[in-house]
Amino acid sequence: MKSLHVEGDTFLHRLPAGLKLAGLAAVSLLLFLLHSPLLLAFAAVAGIGLYAMLGLGWRNSWQRLRVILLTIVVVSVFTLVINSPVDAAAVFFRLIALFLFAATITATTSTGDFIAVVTTAAKPLEKTGLITASDIGLAIGLVIRFLPEVLDRYQAIRDAHHARGLKPKPLTLAVPLIILTLRNADEIAAAIDARGIRSQK
Amino acid sequence: MSTRDLVLAALFAAIIVALGLVPPIMLGFIPVPITAQSLGVMLAGVILGAKRGGLAVLLVLVLVAIGLPVLSGGRGGLATFFLPTAGYLVGWFFAAVVTGYCSEHFVDRSQNGIVQIAGFFLAALLGGVVVDHLMGIAYLAFGTGTGLATAFLGDLAFVPGDVLKAMIAALAGRAVMVGYPLLPQRA
Repeated sequence: MKSLHVEGDTFLHRLPAGLKLAGLAAVSLLLFLLHSPLLLAFAAVAGIGLYAMLGLGWRNSWQRLRVILLTIVVVSVFTLVINSPVDAAAVFFRLIALFLFAATITATTSTGDFIAVVTTAAKPLEKTGLITASDIGLAIGLVIRFLPEVLDRYQAIRDAHHARGLKPKPLTLAVPLIILTLRNADEIAAAIDARGIRSQK
Repeated sequence: MSTRDLVLAALFAAIIVALGLVPPIMLGFIPVPITAQSLGVMLAGVILGAKRGGLAVLLVLVLVAIGLPVLSGGRGGLATFFLPTAGYLVGWFFAAVVTGYCSEHFVDRSQNGIVQIAGFFLAALLGGVVVDHLMGIAYLAFGTGTGLATAFLGDLAFVPGDVLKAMIAALAGRAVMVGYPLLPQRA
């Protein structure tokens, strides 16, 4: 799994992840309160400027952004047809600005930094007794560790279908995939407990 | 939460991610390929129950937020939470919890197969279709300034596909319950 993070040492890379996320939250709130297309267009230009600071080049940027850009265009056209052109312009610029700010933070923050922020943010959750903050970090690690195995297993089940001349169907793919994957849970849990990775009972 | 439950949730999160990475599956009688990721959300609730299923989906959302391209089509990153469709994404968590809660209450091992499938179907329908679509519509109407009525109409196009996924989730849920009886419903 390749993260959307981009290695680099720009000013944005050096800012603490928590600060960047708090900034994003504040900016998004502000952008939803603004309704003037002109002001929002300025925000969009600021977003473009910020993203350009990453120095990814046109081709790479387009590859990364195109799927979501398409969604934004569809929504804007939808708004144009249903509401007014002014509304459509406001929606378009607001989404472009938000999207680029968010994409910049994603690109300049490493997965490790994010997990640290998530773990800190999850501290209040410990009071509910449902989960501890360190469990979240452990669980994220587990997902990333076992994703390739799940994908391999999916491929194997698909190949087995082809080998028997069966057409792959959602049901016949999902059920063996789930049972085979979840059956590992006991072993993995035992391995985690044997190593004393989780400190509590 | 026991280590086993934590591992189950993490493994299921990996399954949900995997379902988004594999090519979309064509169903015989609908010309549109379905992405299996929202099916995975319903399955999490049906198979793992409210607590573990909710945690599995929450883990997927955290992975999205920290910039891994784990959604179907390789989408990911914080930007996905600012799209007009973000309501459906955040709604996944509530969908899994509601589906899980209902499954725990509707379905019992002593029931016969048809009743179990019906119970799972109803649970997946309530969580994966009703709850998720309501949240999606609410945010779509607010996020784009589109009226509630328009957002509702646009949403209707996706209801048949998701009802079908609820059916698949119900059948798969029952099959896993029978095929892997060591997995207790309770968390």
